[in-house]
Amino acid sequence: MIKKNSSPRVDYVIFGLTVFLIFCLVFESFLDLPSMVAWLGRLHPLVLHFPIVLLLMAAGIGLLNQIVPRLLLTVATLSALITAITGFFLGTESAPKAELLFWHQWMGAGVALLAVLWYWISTNYLQQTYLVRGIQLVVIVLIGLTGHYGGMITHGEDFLALPNSNRTEKIPENPLIYEHIVHRILDKNCIACHNPNKKKGELLMNSIEALIEGGESGASIVVGDPGSSELIRRLHLPMENEEHMPPEGKKPLSQDEIRILERWISLGASDTLRLEHLDNTDPLVGMVRKIMDRGTENKWAKLPKVADTTLQNLASDYVTIRRISGNSQALSVSVFLPPNYSSKNITRLQRIANNIVELDMSGVPIGEEEMALVFQCQNLEWLEVDRTPITDLEFDKIKALSKLRVIKAYETAITDKSVAILKDFNNLQSLYIWETQITEGGLSELKEALPNVQIVRGIDPELKDAFIKQDTILDSLQ
Amino acid sequence: MEEDKSKSENPLKVNRRHFFSQLSVGIGSLALGSLLIPDLFKGGPKPLASQPLGIPHFAPKAKRVIYLFQSGAPSQLESFDYKPTLAKRMGEDLPDSVRNGQRLTGMTAGQDKFPLMPSAAKFAQHGKSGAWVSEFFPHIAKIADDICIVKSMHTEAINHDPAITFFQTGSQQSGRPSMGSWMSYGLGSENQNLPSFVVLTSRGKGNSQGLYSKLWSSGFLDSKHQGVLLRSGKDPVLYLNDPDGISRSDKRHLLDHVSSLNKLHHVETGDDEIESRIAQYEMAYRMQMSVPDVMDIKKEPESIIKLYGEDSQVPGTYAANCLQARRLAENGVRFIQLYHQGWDQHGNLPNEMAGQAKDVDQASAALILDLKQRGMLEDTLVIWGGEFGRTNYCQGNFDPKNYGRDHHPRAFSIWMAGGGIKPGITFGETDEFGYNIVKNPVHINDFHATIMNNLGLDHEQLTYKYQGRRFRLTDVAGNVIKDIIT
Repeated sequence: MIKKNSSPRVDYVIFGLTVFLIFCLVFESFLDLPSMVAWLGRLHPLVLHFPIVLLLMAAGIGLLNQIVPRLLLTVATLSALITAITGFFLGTESAPKAELLFWHQWMGAGVALLAVLWYWISTNYLQQTYLVRGIQLVVIVLIGLTGHYGGMITHGEDFLALPNSNRTEKIPENPLIYEHIVHRILDKNCIACHNPNKKKGELLMNSIEALIEGGESGASIVVGDPGSSELIRRLHLPMENEEHMPPEGKKPLSQDEIRILERWISLGASDTLRLEHLDNTDPLVGMVRKIMDRGTENKWAKLPKVADTTLQNLASDYVTIRRISGNSQALSVSVFLPPNYSSKNITRLQRIANNIVELDMSGVPIGEEEMALVFQCQNLEWLEVDRTPITDLEFDKIKALSKLRVIKAYETAITDKSVAILKDFNNLQSLYIWETQITEGGLSELKEALPNVQIVRGIDPELKDAFIKQDTILDSLQ
Repeated sequence: MEEDKSKSENPLKVNRRHFFSQLSVGIGSLALGSLLIPDLFKGGPKPLASQPLGIPHFAPKAKRVIYLFQSGAPSQLESFDYKPTLAKRMGEDLPDSVRNGQRLTGMTAGQDKFPLMPSAAKFAQHGKSGAWVSEFFPHIAKIADDICIVKSMHTEAINHDPAITFFQTGSQQSGRPSMGSWMSYGLGSENQNLPSFVVLTSRGKGNSQGLYSKLWSSGFLDSKHQGVLLRSGKDPVLYLNDPDGISRSDKRHLLDHVSSLNKLHHVETGDDEIESRIAQYEMAYRMQMSVPDVMDIKKEPESIIKLYGEDSQVPGTYAANCLQARRLAENGVRFIQLYHQGWDQHGNLPNEMAGQAKDVDQASAALILDLKQRGMLEDTLVIWGGEFGRTNYCQGNFDPKNYGRDHHPRAFSIWMAGGGIKPGITFGETDEFGYNIVKNPVHINDFHATIMNNLGLDHEQLTYKYQGRRFRLTDVAGNVIKDIIT
């Protein structure tokens, strides 16, 4: 079906590239690419569109029983090889390879090698019509899958997800264990098949009552006894077991998720239980906190992007700007007192104000101008203005920073006037206000408004006295 | 980020690798075989993870560490591991079933009996958590609810030098980078005007073991990660101050000129240690301003001095170092390592240990209280402990008023506080003899992994390639102890 006339030079190039690709794939773990070569990987996004179009065209023409132009197949095969090789280079930039990348790499290589096989068959006049047909079909399917996985790598796994599929909402500070934790675990893993529309095994899992009522196999949960709850039994079965849930092919629950379900059942499977009702030593607390922490990394996901060069330009010997973690846009800023301090050190941070989540200005002679910058740090969660000359006037600037978790304002001149501001911080966890002008009256007002906040007034006086006066060591031993 | 640039393994001489790496830039060939020789095209290692260096891998719970190292190994049986059985069976020989083949040091290997010896110090439970603390540590007892006591530490080393080297570097043999250097390498500096790893030493009257600068060496890491030993007295850093007659602007000119010469040399040789050297000159220049300020404890109010104890006014004492440690932590030093020598009680334990405890008890507890009131316990991890434990049997003459204990690697106690460690808990358990761990063992590798985790570092990802293989602080072991993390 394909016209014969191939230049040996092209054949050699294709052969060479094929050997190189196979070499790369086989010896992947031994390779450490020179940076120039690795850079070639950056061409992958540029070239990858050629084999998609060319191979699809060639395969399409072939499947329609037309003659595939020789030139088309040659260029398609070459571009597939080049794409696979550059893709391999690009892939080495992220080690260890995540699942998506792993599949993308092997399917992409598969496409290229199949194209070579097709090319070779057609060059050598082999009349394997069915084989060629098969290759053409597989190539089309593989291109689709490779492209899909590649797309998920660049655009995110949920790029093609339907708009209403659950983007998990933020878990509140003091979550209901059932509604915000347990139900979400079930929703993510089980309810897709056990809902009023599908109702597999006659089981509904969208409410506690439904779980207790159960399905074909009886009650799904036995309140207070995870050991005899069908739900837990099935989660623990070996993966091969027919009865294991979620069924084969679906992602199993994590150990933590299973433990959360177990603990929730043994605590009575209540729908009113909240995190704060639990004793701090309860294992459920740690596991729930962990899930909530995962949320905290997400909460910074919407911060505007800030370039490393911007940070380098704004930082100086006395102003340290750091990302909270690897690729986070959330910033932590520490200011130290230089020999000749000017407020510019801090006010110039205006450009990144939205990204600052932690700001430490302890001991720096800040005033109105610096606090005007603080005013703009809408995402601030941690503020240190202890040992500074600020007064109520400047302190007023933090009024709108509702995300503050920690405020350190000890050894400052703030007074009861600032209590009114502090009272409104809903997310506050700890407040350090010793050696301020805040009176006992102001303090009790604060305590009333913020019952859950740890308000630190310095070392407990009794304890401090004990340290200062007592120099205990057993006399009998001296 | 800075560290992404390639680095030489051995900066002093051009070896085969350097030769080839520079030759290859010229040739620029992409020979297939070269792909199998990883270092042919680059001078040094690149991090295993694609994460930039100098930034935590994930959001950290702690930003800095204060490690109160009790050098010589304080006895767990007179501090935190209460064993009434030892009093009941006092003088009995340690059953072989308990010792179970444990090797002995040369100091007690010759003893024909191993009589069990109870603690001379009385124990009581303290705080809401009911933690057992001996009367040697009355102040630490008062902060029992702020600390996490780990009673199930264990190590392989049985002598001081390998044991302390293991704790500091993750290996019994010397030569690897110290913990503080790894943290400096992984997290970078918080304050550009101070070293990120600082060491302070003090010495009690008890039997001492040596301290060597190898314990805070940066090993194969860039020398800027090395611990800087701050001395007590007038010059915390030797030769930091300008000689008489040299003004600060003269110094600036001098540095600029030296730096330009060094840069020329760097262009010639490509040795990256030269850049480190330039950076260190600059750091020293800034330290001339920052160090005297940080070290000046005269600025501390009377009540704080008294909190740490009268000793804290005497430079070079453990109490002064604790106060200093807080000031350094406030000023953004990542890793502050204290050593207090004198805990090696092979004899005269009741008296010597009481004295050692007196040196450190109040100041250690005061440091926790002081950090707590400043909100620094929220992001500062404090560690207190020695390099191994001590035997439950008596070394030397059997005298309940004057006995000794030999080295014991199988079980010992340390405590930690703040920085994402659960307060008010006791973790791990030993058997009734205090000899073997029966619950939740914590190996030194686990301890390192946990500390790194709280600092936002994945101990398996922070690596440095040297002499053909990637090294980690935890080498090929270590599990994060999740149960003690908040």
